[in-house]
Parts: sequence; C-alpha cells; structure tokens
Amino acid sequence: MAKYIAQRIVAMLLTLFIIITIGFMVIRLMPGGIFDEAVDMTFEQKAALEAKYNLDKPIPIQYALFLKGLVLEGDWGTSLKMHINVPVWDIIKTKIPVTLYINFFALLISLPLGIAFGIVAAIRKNTMTDYLISFMVVIFISVPSFIFATLLQYFVAFRAGWFPIIFDATSVGFEKFRGLALPILALSLGPIARVTRYLRAELAETINSDFMLLAKTKGLTERQATINHGIRNSMLPLMNIIVPMFTGIMGGSLVIETIFSIPGMGGIMVKSINAPDYTVTLAALIFYSLISLITVLIVDLSYGIIDPRVRMGGKK
Amino acid sequence: MAKFYSSDAPEYQVGKEQFEFVQMQGDIADETFKDKPIGFFKDAMLRFCRSKISIVAFVGIVLVITLSLVVPFISRWDYNDQDLNRINLPPKMPVLENAGILDGTRWLTNRRVDGLGDTNRYPEGSILRVINHRMVQGVEMCDIKVDYYKYSGVEEGTYFWMGTDYLGRDLWVRMWRGARVSLAIAFISVICNVCIGIVYGSIAGYYGGKVDMLMMRITEIIGSFPEIVVVTLFILFFGTGMLSICLCLVVQNWIGTARMIRSQFYRYKGSEYVLAARTLGVKDMALIFRHILPNSIGPIITRAMIAVPSAIFTESFLAYIGLGIRAPESSIGVLLSQGQKVMQQYPNQVFFPAVVISLLMIAFNMLSNGLRDAFDPTQRGA
Repeated sequence: MAKYIAQRIVAMLLTLFIIITIGFMVIRLMPGGIFDEAVDMTFEQKAALEAKYNLDKPIPIQYALFLKGLVLEGDWGTSLKMHINVPVWDIIKTKIPVTLYINFFALLISLPLGIAFGIVAAIRKNTMTDYLISFMVVIFISVPSFIFATLLQYFVAFRAGWFPIIFDATSVGFEKFRGLALPILALSLGPIARVTRYLRAELAETINSDFMLLAKTKGLTERQATINHGIRNSMLPLMNIIVPMFTGIMGGSLVIETIFSIPGMGGIMVKSINAPDYTVTLAALIFYSLISLITVLIVDLSYGIIDPRVRMGGKK
Repeated sequence: MAKFYSSDAPEYQVGKEQFEFVQMQGDIADETFKDKPIGFFKDAMLRFCRSKISIVAFVGIVLVITLSLVVPFISRWDYNDQDLNRINLPPKMPVLENAGILDGTRWLTNRRVDGLGDTNRYPEGSILRVINHRMVQGVEMCDIKVDYYKYSGVEEGTYFWMGTDYLGRDLWVRMWRGARVSLAIAFISVICNVCIGIVYGSIAGYYGGKVDMLMMRITEIIGSFPEIVVVTLFILFFGTGMLSICLCLVVQNWIGTARMIRSQFYRYKGSEYVLAARTLGVKDMALIFRHILPNSIGPIITRAMIAVPSAIFTESFLAYIGLGIRAPESSIGVLLSQGQKVMQQYPNQVFFPAVVISLLMIAFNMLSNGLRDAFDPTQRGA
C-alpha cells in the first residue's frame, strides 16, 4: 500500500513537472518581449529591467533559475504587469482559499444531494417522482454553469435582492457565505445532476441483482437491503465520474468567479491572460494542475476504502 | 431406356405457386415472410422515431442550423453594421408587439417631470405612461415608460427582433451568425476527434499486445493533464483563431473515442467471422475498416453527438475568459460574455443567447440519448 502511494505521488510529481516545463516554454517562447509595449522606456532601461528579471538569458537557463527559485525558496517570480514588482506568491496567496472554498464546497454539497436524488429516483423508478427528477437532470446537465450563474445573479440577486449581486471581499462569517451562496449553487447544479443520473442507473441495476434478492429472502426490509447492500455496491462506479466532475467544477468556477467578481484564482488567471502577465498565468496554471492532480490521487487511493475487493498495487 | 434424374427435365420443373404449406396436424404455424428484412439502420431508425422527445430535439437542432445558415443572408443588416444612433435598443417583434411583449418599450426611472415636455429629448409620442410621481429634494420626479424606438429616433417600421448591443449592432443577426460559428467549431472539432479516435483506437485494439500497451500509455499521459491547463496553453501558443479553438478541443477529446473504439475491437476481433475472413486472406486494413469497425458505428455516432454540446460549452467558456473568438466576429460565447456585462440594464442582451445555448445543449443531449437508445436498446435509461 505504502509503495503504491509512493509510486502514485512520484507519477503525480512527474506529470506536474512536465506541465510546468511545457507551460514555461509555451509562455516564454511566445513572440514579443514583455516590455515591448512600454514605449516611454529607453533601450537601456528595458535592458536593465530584462537583466533584473533574468529575461536576457537563454531560455533553458531562465527555466533552471525559475525552477531553482520555486523549489528552494518558494519564489514564484515577480508580477510584471498587473501589480508591478509584487511577488506572485503575495498576489495568489490570498486568492487560493476563496477558490478552494467554492470549488470544494460545490463538490461537497453536490455529492450527498446527488446521491440522495439518485437513490430516490432509482427506488421509485418509472413513477412521477422519477420522471420529474430525470427531467431536472437533463436540464441541469445540459445548461452550462455560467448560464445558471447569470440567471441566478439576475433573478435572485438583482431582481429579488435576496443575495448580494457581487461578492464583497471584505465580508466575514455569515455575510461571506451569503455572498458565495449563489456561485456555489450555480457550480453544484450540474454535478448534482451528473451524480443523480449515474447513481440512478447503477442502483436500478443493482437492485435487480441476485444478492439483493438473497438479502431480502433472509428477512431484511427493502430499506435495509437497499442501504446496506445496494448503495455500497453502486458507489464504486461513482468514483469514476468524480474526477471529470471536479474538473468541470473548476472550469466553471473560472468563469463564475469573474461573473460574481470573486477575488479568486479564476479571476487572477483571466486577468493575467488578458493583461498579459505571464508569470502570474504560469502560477495560476500550476495551481490548477496541482489541484486536479491531487484530486485524481485521492480518488485513486479511495477505491480501496470504498470497495475492499480492489487490491492496491495491481496484484493479480 | 432408363430415365435419369435431371432437374432440367420438364416434368421436374415445379413452379413456386404449386407449393403449399402443410403441417402434420393442426393449423399451419409458419407463414411466408411478407415483409422486407429490416437492416441495422432501419431498425435503429424505427426505434428512434418512436421516442417523441428525440424527434422534437432533432427538429429543434435542424431549426437552429437552418436559422443560422439563412438569417445572416436575408437580414437587412450585417452582423457588424454599427450605428451609434440605435444603441441598446430593446427587442421588438412585429406580431408580439401588439400582445404587449417584445414591443420595444422600456421603463426609464428618475426623470424630472418638468423635462418631459422637451421634444428634443422625448420625441412626439414616445412617452407611453408616467407613474410614481414623487418629490425628491424639491424637484418633482417620476418614472416613465417610453417607446424606446421613437425615443432613440429610429425610423418607423424598424424592428430589431432581439434588440441591439452597445454599438448598435443587430443582435438577431449576431445571434444566428454566432450560432453558426459555434456550431461550425463544434462540428469540425468533433469530426476531427472522431477521425483521430477511430484510427488510433482501431490500431491499438486490432494489433493489441505491445503496440496497444504503448499507445494506451500515451493516451494516459495526455489524459492526465488537466483540461483547463491544456486548453489555455494551447490557445496562448497558437493564438485565438477559429482553427486553434477547433484544435484545442481535439487535443484531449479524441482519447475517449479511441478508448471506446479499442474496447469494441477487443470485443469483436476474436469472433468467428473475423477468423473466417482472415483465413480467406483478407488484409489487415480491410479487416479493420470493413469487417470490425462497422460494428461500432452506433456508439461512434452517439459519442459524436454527446461531444457536440461539450464543444459548444468549451467555446463559450473560452470566450468568457477572453481566449475565444474575438469581436467583431460573433459567437454564442461572445454574445453571452458581452451581454453579461450589461445584464442589469439590458437583460435582453444576455437572455436571448442564454436561451438559445441552453435549448441547443438540451436538444443535443436529448438527441444523443435517443440515438443511444436506438442503436443499443440494452443501454436504455443509463
């Protein structure tokens, strides 16, 4: 088990390293220097600035210096356009918690809700309840999260005034939650529908299997049989969709943070791409890669916990 | 002379009509086949037509495609005709205006009552209703409902069905041109990813062994990169043209198709008919493309249909974060992100694109569900 975890972590770091390398190369190999637009600077000033940020050196050396700074000192470089001369880490360190908050919150509320709706739909298959849930599922799966965000912002926040239209970064406690409620809701509608649809299909099949019949023959009630035997067996395939689901949530949060003016990594990434401020873009890309790689890792490792039949390490 | 049996001899010639069905006892259970045989596609077609929702979805998609092809040609305005005299007009439609919706009116709040008579600001007949008289710091204020078309001085009989945007461009034309661009991106990228997926998956699945292991390892590596990061880097590197958006949708999406095709090949390559064909000396290429691949035509079509809405989604996502199609070119994503900025003042600018993209996505999902049920009824409801 420990060996398997170690292997997975090494593989993850390798992937991260490849992403950082490709990202760095793509960003530095783009045509045009970073200070080309600053027409009021003399040639000497530009040269001095480039020397300061190591931009005058060959790209492999720049990359080595960047990696050295990142690994040894936690130095992510310096912002060059958005907040001139501010270290990138200082810009992103306040943004990371907000983004993690809304992303994980959306994931955390969508799993139990989706599971609950899925179970209800599967147990009451081919009844009015099931049709209603399936109808909602189709709508929530199809309509993109940023459409929901826009509609919620217009009808619930602007027209009805129940929630703040944009997020107030200075708020704390309950006010902060109120500001983030609509973005989280918009983000979690799609995942809820996905989990529901998947679990409904899985559970409907499991309920008809032989071991469920056996459980009921032994004298378990319908409820006991479904909860103790059915659901647990339908959970494992559910793990497969968590990773793509979380990727979807993160992609959506990129846009939704912009819509609700939430000061998170999504907004930073969008702004840095449009500025353009490539040291910040690179940091944002590394952040997103790291988060999704860690999610994949956690999901892979939790297979064994949910289903003891899955042996870790691929022994046959 | 002994007479030998010959089927050509006239006394052995029996016409078909002379045969009749007999049974040893009781009624005849068998009948002749009177129907034509039903092939794979006809079978699927029959099942598809039985589901009303799929038909509705199909008609909806055809309607959107037709509108997006036709409207930009027959419209009075081009998608990029700008006119600052008609900015941010509300929507107005010929028939619905009499019913009180989409009639080109708008509420203006906090107007000074003494300024209402000024025909330079409020042209003759533009004010329809005045309500909510109140005194604010000694000045009499009110809210008024105006015919915004007269208010802006647009000539009589002009209709902008979805209104205009902040540069006075007709949103009706921009909407359908945008739908055309979005659909084009979606279809091109889906065709590319299906083609690549088929070739890659067939080779990996057919040859198996080391080739398969190596090829699947490569897809695992490509698939392990987070999608947002790949898409962003790709666009940063290749620029924001239509082609690079199409390509960035292909980079990772072909993997799913390839895996699906590979598993189909594993299912069929060991079957007897493949062995028979191979024994007859059929070449590898013919075996792959003529004998095994057609088995997966159903899953391929279904998968392609599922990929279309996600491509439309990614396109508008890119437009939102500033990496998509650039103005003045229009796409659903461009319209959404522009409309979202002025949502509180002019909700119609974001409402119409939002409705169109939502209906389009729902229709494509319904259609792919219907197709999946039609091609593979065992998967129904999954």
